[in-house]
Amino acid sequence: MFSETAKKELEEIRLKYPNARAALLPALYLAQREFGWLSPEAYEAVSGILGVPKAIARGVGTFYAMYKHKPMGRNIVQLCTNVSCMILGAERLVDFLKNKYGLEPGGTSPDGRFSLVIMECIGACGTAPAMLVNDDFFENLTEKYIEEILEKYK
Amino acid sequence: MEKILLKNIDNPNSADIAEYMKAGGYQSLPKALGMQPKEIIEEVKKAGLRGRGGAGFPVAMKWTFASADPKFPKYLLCNADEGEPGTFKDRPILEKNPHLLIEGMAISGFALSAEYGYIYLRGEYPAAKDILNKAIAQAYEKGFLGDNVAGKGFKFHLAVHQGAGAYICGEETALIESLEGDKGQPRIKPPFPVNVGAFAKPTVVNNVETLSNLPYLIGIGGEAYAKIGSPDCPGPKIYCVSGHVEKPGVYELPMGTNLRDIIYTHCGGIKGGKKLKAVIPGGISTPILPPDKIDCAMDFVNMPKHGSMLGSGAVIVMDESVCLVKVCYRALKFFEHESCGKCTPCREGTGWLRKVLGRIENGQGMEGDIDLLQSIAGNMLGKTFCPLGDGAASVVQNFIKHFRPEFEAHIKNKACSTG
Amino acid sequence: MIKVTINGKEIELEKAVTVLEAAKSAGIKIPTLCWHQQLEKYGGCRLCLVEVEKMPRLQTACTLMVTDGMVVRTETEAIANVRRSVLEFLLINHPLDCPYCDKAGECELQDLVEKYGARAGRFTEEKRKVPESLEDPVLVRNMERCVVCTRCVRMCEGVQGAAALGVISRGGHSHIEPFSGGKFECEYCGNCVSVCPVGAIMSRLHRHSYRPWQLVSETETICPYCGVGCTLVAQVRDDVIKRVVPRIGTPVNNGLLCSRGRFGYEFVGSKERLTSPLIRKNGVLEESTWEEAISLVAKKLGEIKAKHGSDSIAGIASPRCTNEDNYVFQKFMRVTIGTNNIDSTARTGYAGAQAFIENIFGQGSTANLIPGLANSDVVLVAGGDPTAVNPILGLQIRACARRAGSILTIGHVKGLRHYSPVELRPALFRETLALEGIVSALRNKKGLPGSNQILEAKLKDINTTPQEAAGACGVAEKDFAVFVDRLSGAATPAIVIGKEIVQSSGGNYKLFLLAAINYLVNGRIYLLSERANEQGLLDMGCAPDLLPGYRPLAYAEFRKRYETAWKTAIPERPGLSIFGMIDAAKQGSLKAMYVMGENPVYNLPNSRDVEAALQKVDFLVVQDIFLTETAKLADVVLPALSWSEKSGTFTNMERRIQRVRKAVSREGMEDWRIIAEVARNMASKFHYTGAEEVFAEISKVSPLYRDLAYEEIEKGQSIYPYKGEPLRSTVEEISVDKGAGVVAASRFYLRLERPLFHSGTLSRKAAALVNIYSGALARLSTADAASLGVKDGDVVRVSTKIGSLELPVAVDGAVEQSVVMLTNNFEGKGAFCLAEYAVDPVTGAPVIDCNAVMIEKVER
Ligand SMILES: Cc1cc2nc3c(=O)[nH]c(=O)nc-3n(C[C@H](O)[C@H](O)[C@H](O)COP(=O)(O)O)c2cc1C
Ligand code: SF4
Ligand code: SF4
Ligand code: SF4
Ligand code: SF4
Ligand code: FES
Ligand code: FES
Repeated sequence: MFSETAKKELEEIRLKYPNARAALLPALYLAQREFGWLSPEAYEAVSGILGVPKAIARGVGTFYAMYKHKPMGRNIVQLCTNVSCMILGAERLVDFLKNKYGLEPGGTSPDGRFSLVIMECIGACGTAPAMLVNDDFFENLTEKYIEEILEKYK
Repeated sequence: MEKILLKNIDNPNSADIAEYMKAGGYQSLPKALGMQPKEIIEEVKKAGLRGRGGAGFPVAMKWTFASADPKFPKYLLCNADEGEPGTFKDRPILEKNPHLLIEGMAISGFALSAEYGYIYLRGEYPAAKDILNKAIAQAYEKGFLGDNVAGKGFKFHLAVHQGAGAYICGEETALIESLEGDKGQPRIKPPFPVNVGAFAKPTVVNNVETLSNLPYLIGIGGEAYAKIGSPDCPGPKIYCVSGHVEKPGVYELPMGTNLRDIIYTHCGGIKGGKKLKAVIPGGISTPILPPDKIDCAMDFVNMPKHGSMLGSGAVIVMDESVCLVKVCYRALKFFEHESCGKCTPCREGTGWLRKVLGRIENGQGMEGDIDLLQSIAGNMLGKTFCPLGDGAASVVQNFIKHFRPEFEAHIKNKACSTG
Repeated sequence: MIKVTINGKEIELEKAVTVLEAAKSAGIKIPTLCWHQQLEKYGGCRLCLVEVEKMPRLQTACTLMVTDGMVVRTETEAIANVRRSVLEFLLINHPLDCPYCDKAGECELQDLVEKYGARAGRFTEEKRKVPESLEDPVLVRNMERCVVCTRCVRMCEGVQGAAALGVISRGGHSHIEPFSGGKFECEYCGNCVSVCPVGAIMSRLHRHSYRPWQLVSETETICPYCGVGCTLVAQVRDDVIKRVVPRIGTPVNNGLLCSRGRFGYEFVGSKERLTSPLIRKNGVLEESTWEEAISLVAKKLGEIKAKHGSDSIAGIASPRCTNEDNYVFQKFMRVTIGTNNIDSTARTGYAGAQAFIENIFGQGSTANLIPGLANSDVVLVAGGDPTAVNPILGLQIRACARRAGSILTIGHVKGLRHYSPVELRPALFRETLALEGIVSALRNKKGLPGSNQILEAKLKDINTTPQEAAGACGVAEKDFAVFVDRLSGAATPAIVIGKEIVQSSGGNYKLFLLAAINYLVNGRIYLLSERANEQGLLDMGCAPDLLPGYRPLAYAEFRKRYETAWKTAIPERPGLSIFGMIDAAKQGSLKAMYVMGENPVYNLPNSRDVEAALQKVDFLVVQDIFLTETAKLADVVLPALSWSEKSGTFTNMERRIQRVRKAVSREGMEDWRIIAEVARNMASKFHYTGAEEVFAEISKVSPLYRDLAYEEIEKGQSIYPYKGEPLRSTVEEISVDKGAGVVAASRFYLRLERPLFHSGTLSRKAAALVNIYSGALARLSTADAASLGVKDGDVVRVSTKIGSLELPVAVDGAVEQSVVMLTNNFEGKGAFCLAEYAVDPVTGAPVIDCNAVMIEKVER
């Protein structure tokens, strides 16, 4: 079930669109926030509120890479490995995350602290390699810098 | 050249409406509201403004089609999906100069008699979302958005719609689908969005950078604007340069600036003085160029003559340390990941190409693999539903066209000879 | 006129169509895969690419509209290469094991590859591996075979409207899943199966049991289940129905079926079918011969008739039997026995409601074409869920909504919840107030049309205010106003009425109010019909007050007509209704009953009381295909041939007469033939060689069917009023009995669930339907379940004054508060054993909405 605040938020979002269906993407974001990931219950909740059939909602949700369909760690490390980042060493950073934190691409660290998601270009190619941790951008990454950054996420 | 689009971005508070107005912002909007919508479109036409999203379509033409359609309401959608790898030109506008975009959208909205605007913002830009929402709230507060814009009786509402990680949503009909709460899969055209777009109403989709040109353009008038940059294709252009240059970053320059100048003059040349190996001039979907082909004016009209495209103006510079088979493989991995799955050649072809490239890169390439790649790419090109699949095929074709020996060496030596 | 040139051939077209259609009209075939004539355009597979002059790229013929002067080429070398390469792409992830696949032989991909070829073997990587999903009882999903054409999804969402399937993920990972990822938990129409071009979604019923080319025969017939009357094709091998499929182009269902029609055929081959006549000897039913059984029946009926008079015998006809069966049966009752004591379960709603409405608007006024619903601008639904009761009709309502029509509902209609219905949900027993409010608001808004004085006189003093009506529905006045505005603004409204309203207290008055609404908005009325030949049996005269051709018995001139034709006097006195029969049996005045193809002991409310009544009858004959609850009480049981084993006609709710055809053979007799045998043994002259001859007699004696023969019916010329004479009735009087009004006094009331997957006692023997919905449930609203402290699967005891049942709970958001919904479909667990009834004084329907219920949790 959605919390009352989330329900209110969704009501407001709904007003931005000419119909309820258009509020599906933002509703899925909200559901992801509320449920941690887009579980069947999350889809049922969204479907119940917006009146979008749940199978359709799930089809839409699974189309987009940023909706998560399994439980995630507390923090999501989203590391870009697309060309500009790759040629500046992003792959080394992937190895580093694996070795240092036990983080496999698409996986979650054993302590549940981090999940690693390999990203396509995140628009920080001029300051590559780059990543997002949750909603925060970090650029010009090095192994050492990553260590510093991840310190802050518990 | 004075900065137009990136004006003021070094000011840490540039996103604030007060700062924007202090720097002369929101002066073109009232001016525009004093004109006839048709007159604005006329100015845009005189300015020769072309869309900055990648295709370079003349803006005035698109607007004229949408205006001519009698259906209401009309929608103006700003394409802030910026997903083309290598591209980061819209992000500074969104994060640092949001009011320029908002003013540009209000002007464009008026020109189109559109009542509603949405900024389709990629999910990967969470910071920009908050900044835009804040800026929009400020603009409402100051009356630059709302039921009575600038007190001139024009109604224009604007909201941010956040994407969720799908490159294809940059394609305008996929973007509309996604705005409507569906999968971002391209639509059959015709009907075109200018007639049947968002919520089945006439809709114009323009890029962030495109729309951000409007305040300046209206300020100085179309004729004066047309004097900037290439005569064929005027205006300022944000080039975003990444990879092996000394000073990567965004550069606002006149449209048509020479690619070599961008790399060697503006960006300080190849990092560490190494040798240039290749340049992708307009984002990963545009044809790669070898070092001897980079003397070209970077605009929509000229680049095709040099065997590539301006695309998003995302210049990716690669020095001699780079393995191009690997880059090609990584690019195809991207296309495979981003293929929406609607059409057979792209859905199946991108993965197949990636797999063949993968085995070549891994030293397991077989004789005939290069022909196979070309054949697969050839079977995709021109047969896919939308340009994404074409892009994937043309990347493979162009890499092989210019760097075939490197592919051959991989297969022959069963290993990568670079780095 | 549009001129296009395709492959050098000039084609002239009236209107713009797709290149594909234009080519087709000229006999040029362009291969397709994602295209399907029932579905919206997609343009994804790229098989139909063609060259068009002056266009830079190849174009998909299935999406491109022709323009004047267009020049198209479909058979160039380049195009052939494209087709081959698209097929190659499709095959890289498709198993090459056609011999194992059930689709082989009718697989579009297989055919395409055969025709256009595909380079093989260039893809050396591992193919996608996905295990076949056998989690569903009815549908098998094999995603290795899926070509992502999305036909199933477009069917399920855009046509069926169930939206139960989605394309999951994207790109090369795209695949099709129902929400759960395993079981479909959908409407099980199987329409996705029909459109899947490959073996990716298939029916499990015939899995690995035959190959399409091994089918021996295909018989086009009519669905045995509901009053919609869908055409279906029974595919047979070894005299067993292997599969049922729809056909595109049939008038009612045009390529679609519902779960019952498609998957409900297995009862025909059930091992529990009766095989020989049974006679009760020393209290037990024992097998006997036809001769013995028939002569016993004739003898006993003759004796009782002689001793107690004709009216001591009654017959119950069957809405599952053909017109021919029913005609012969009522003729037998009237001619051989000499009584009008003939009725059917149509009396539980349909018959009375139809008579009531048609008395006001004229005979035939409820005979409206089902596909017409889709073209209405407003559809008002009251008294049930059309998508469950009459699924294919329900689809037309969904189609109406999709075409921007408005859906208005009285009460919550689960199957329409995704179609933005404007709902009025009256509180328990306050429906009347809501309807009155609508009537007075419409009258005040639109004024009286003045064409029906009798009706107008009756509605003049209905003065329920919008405030009261809104209050009864717990909504704001402005929401009530929206409802009324939509109705009053409608140009082509339709009103769909279900049994729930007919079977509620004051049902006749509510029908009157709905009729008044219909009158004020100038609409059309559709009455939902739960049985395949409910209409036909009425038309055949299986009613105590009707003669064949829907002719009232009360008129001497009609009686005369039939007396002449049948060469016998017909008693003037109307017979007993089905409920009258039960009462008479209880009182002992009814001595014998003949039940044909019906199970009153289960299908009538207060079923235990009905059972007791039938036990009192001296001689009970039951003619059926199964040993039903009723048959178990019989003195003689006569096994009949069932649907698909015999020929005849059904008349659907549109009053379209359609041919039912024999698809499989079985030893035995049709219902009409058994009756005729009995009649002959009672010295009546019933000589028919076949069903067609029976129909010939019907068309001869009944002015409604004048000159109608199988030949015309087969040509589809069987739309009411055929070439005959409908009755021109004039309203003389509208009798309405509002009743006392009920005040909710109990915490819970019993309501009937009419599930999509079942239909009376027939579907119990259809294994697939039982697998989908396998046992009785007590459905409770979320709030009530919470307040009772029960959750899904907990067992509750549901008790009324007359009985109790222990049932597992199903919490259902679509159930209203303060009611418990039970079905009447499962053996020993029928809702009707808990439901007392009173008979509506006007419609004669049972009123069953006042059964107070106690619910207690059964601790385990
Ligand atoms: C696969 C694909 C991706 C695209 N991505 C973007 C994008 O991220 N941003 C953008 O502005 N345009 C993108 N486009 C171009 C848009 O379809 C459209 O042409 C553009 O938004 C129009 O705006 P403009 O005329 O202002 O350039 C993309 C096109 C394709 C085919
Ligand atoms: S080419 Fe086809 S599969 Fe690829 S993104 Fe476009 S529509 Fe989707
Ligand atoms: S059986 Fe019918 S409801 Fe179920 S998934 Fe298929 S089309 Fe949809
Ligand atoms: S399951 Fe069948 S109909 Fe559905 S997408 Fe796959 S191949 Fe097409
Ligand atoms: S709608 Fe009625 S007639 Fe049609 S298939 Fe379903 S049960 Fe049979
Ligand atoms: S390639 Fe990594 S941010 Fe653009
Ligand atoms: S049939 Fe035309 S694209 Fe599939």
